[in-house]
Amino acid sequence: MITAENLTKVYGKRAALDHVSFEVPEGEIFGFVGPNGAGKTTTLRILAALLEPTGGHASIGGVDVAKQPDLVHSRLGYMPDFFGVYDKLTVSEYLDFYAACYRQNKQRRTKVVAELLELIGLTERRDQLVDTLSRGLKQRLCLARALVHDPVVLLLDEPASGLDPRARVDMREILKELRRMGKTIVISSHILPELTELCTMIGIIDHGRMRATGSVQEVIQHLSAGRRVRIAVVGDAEAALEILKPLASVSHTEIANGAIEATYEGDDSTAAEILQALTAGGIKVSAFSQVDGGLEEAFMRATSDEVG
Amino acid sequence: MNRVATAFWNPIVAKEYRSRMRTWRSPVAMMVYILLIGGLGFAVFSVMAYANSGITGGGNYGQILFSALIGFQVILLAFVTPALTAGAISSERERQTIDLLFVTRIPPFSIIWGKLLASMSFVVLLLILSIPIFSLVFLFGGIELDQVVYAFLVTLVTALTLGVMGILFSTWLRRSLVATVVSYVAAFVLIVGTLAFGLFFPTQIDPNATKAPAPPAFTYLSPVISLVWIAGDGSYLSASSYGVRYPNTVVGGGSGNTVCQSAPGGGTSCYSTGSSSGGLVSTSGFVQSAQAGTGTVPSGFFEGWQYWQATIVMQLAICLVALLVSAFILPPVRRLPWRRRNLTKSAPAVSE
Repeated sequence: MITAENLTKVYGKRAALDHVSFEVPEGEIFGFVGPNGAGKTTTLRILAALLEPTGGHASIGGVDVAKQPDLVHSRLGYMPDFFGVYDKLTVSEYLDFYAACYRQNKQRRTKVVAELLELIGLTERRDQLVDTLSRGLKQRLCLARALVHDPVVLLLDEPASGLDPRARVDMREILKELRRMGKTIVISSHILPELTELCTMIGIIDHGRMRATGSVQEVIQHLSAGRRVRIAVVGDAEAALEILKPLASVSHTEIANGAIEATYEGDDSTAAEILQALTAGGIKVSAFSQVDGGLEEAFMRATSDEVG
Repeated sequence: MNRVATAFWNPIVAKEYRSRMRTWRSPVAMMVYILLIGGLGFAVFSVMAYANSGITGGGNYGQILFSALIGFQVILLAFVTPALTAGAISSERERQTIDLLFVTRIPPFSIIWGKLLASMSFVVLLLILSIPIFSLVFLFGGIELDQVVYAFLVTLVTALTLGVMGILFSTWLRRSLVATVVSYVAAFVLIVGTLAFGLFFPTQIDPNATKAPAPPAFTYLSPVISLVWIAGDGSYLSASSYGVRYPNTVVGGGSGNTVCQSAPGGGTSCYSTGSSSGGLVSTSGFVQSAQAGTGTVPSGFFEGWQYWQATIVMQLAICLVALLVSAFILPPVRRLPWRRRNLTKSAPAVSE
C-alpha cells in the first residue's frame, strides 16, 4: 500500500533523508521511530506530497506521490505534529469545513461529521469552540479531520505527543478501532511501548537513514544482542551471581532495582537451564521472568552508534 | 456545484466569514470607520459653513464635501485593506494550518481566491456602510449620481488592488508582520508614488504634436487623478500642468526659451522669452485646451478613455497578474511541466 524507495532529501549539504526505503502492506500499522531530527516528519511530508524529494520516489496504493498528488491526497489522511486549529469555529464547523474542502455535499458532510464525532467521542462537544478544547481533545479532533474523506491510508506524525496518560490510552483505542476498519496507518512516535503494542511493523530511522524495518519482533531480534531474564532471590544475591557468571550461555549480569538481570544467548530452554542451575546451587528464587527490553532497547541500540 | 462555482465560492469563504464576524474587531472596525467618515464629513461641513457665513451662494458645498469624503475613504481603505489581506496566507503558515489545506482537494487558486473574496467582502461592507454619509452631498447639489458611482467603483477597484497585493506579499513573504509592512509600502507607492511619478517624470510636450499631452500612463494607476476628475476638480490638475512639461526649446523660431503658465479657464499659455519675439507667442490650440476637458485622456495609449476607466483597467491588470503569481507560488511543491524530473531515477549520492 505504501512504498518508499531510496527517498533522499538534501538541504544544502545536509541530508535530511538518505536513501530511505520501506514498504507497508495494506492493513498494517507501521511505527516510524527515531530521535528528533531523524527524518520522520520529512518522510511523512514527502509521502503526503507536501515536500519534493531530492531523489527516490514514493507511492500510495500504486499511485506515484510526485506525479499524481491530487489522487494521493484523496487516498490519504495526514495528521501533522501540530494541531492546526482555527479560532472561532465550533467542533462540528471545523470538521464540516474540511469535509467541504474535500468537495463533499452538505448531506454527506452532515453524516460524516456525526460519525466522526461519535468515533472520537466528541458528540456532546460538537458546538464547543475548537480553541477551548483540551490538548487531548484537540488531538482527537485533528485525527477526525484526517478521516473526513474516509482515506485508506493514514499518516500520523506524533499523534500522542504531549498527551497525558489518559489521553494516550484514548488515542490508542481510536487507532485500534481504525485498524479494525482496515486502514493502513503510519505512526511516527517517541512513545515506544505504545508502538510495541499497537504496531504490526516498525521502522527505526536515525540521521536520515533507515536502521531497521520489519515486524516488531523481527526488528527487536535483529537489533537485540541477547535475551534477558529478571531474577529475584531470597537472601544473598551475590551467591546467585557466583552461579550465573560461569554459565556459558550467560553473557552479562547485573543487579538492578534489587533483582538480578542476566543477559543470555539462547531460547526458552536455555532460560529453564539457568533457573535449574540456580535452584541446584541452593538459591531460593522468588521470581524469574523474561525482561521485554524490546523496542526501546532495540531503538537505543540502533540509534546509539551515531548519536552525538 | 460545478467547477467554476466551486472555484469562486469555496469553503474557505464561508469559514473566513464565520471567523471574521465572530470577533469583536469587525463590529468595532465598522463603527470606527463610520465615525471617522461621518466625523470628517461633519468637520468639512462645519468649516465650510463657518467660512461662508454671511455670504450667499459662496462655494459648492456638495462638491467640496464629496471630494473630501471620497479622498478620506481611499486613505482609510489604504490602511484597512492591507491589514485584512497581508496576513491571509502568512497567518495560515504561522498557525501551521496551510499544510492541512494543501492535502485537501482545494486548488491553490481557490485558496487565494477564497481569502481575497472574504477580505474584500468586508471592504464592500465598509463601502456600503458609508453610502448614507455620501448621500448627504446630494442635499447640497453639485454632484450627480453617476459621479458617486464612478468614484465608488474606482475606490473599490483600488481597494481590490491593495487587497490582491496584500495577498501576494502574504504568500511570498510568509511572515505576517513583514508582509503587512511591505503591503503598506506598496499601497503608498500605488496611491502616492505613481502620482509623484507624474511630477518627477512628466510627459515632454512635443510642440509639433497635433494632440494635447497627457500625463504618463503610469500615473493613472493612482486613484487620485481619477477621483479628482470625477469630483469635477480636474481643472486644478490642468491648471498646474500636472504630468506634462514644456521643453526649454524655441517656439516660433526664436532663440529664447518657452515659458508656460496657467491661464484662466484651466488652459495653459506659453510665451517665448527669446530675443526674436519676446512677447506672447501663438501656441498650438491644443496647448490652450490640453487638459481643460472633462476627464478624458487626450493622448497616448488610453486616448479617448476617461481617466477613471484607465485607472480601473490598469489596476485590474495588476490584480490579475498578482493573483496568478500568488496561486503559482503558494503550493509547497510547484509542478511545472518543464521542471518535472524523473524521480524514479536513482537518487544522487549524499555526503554527510
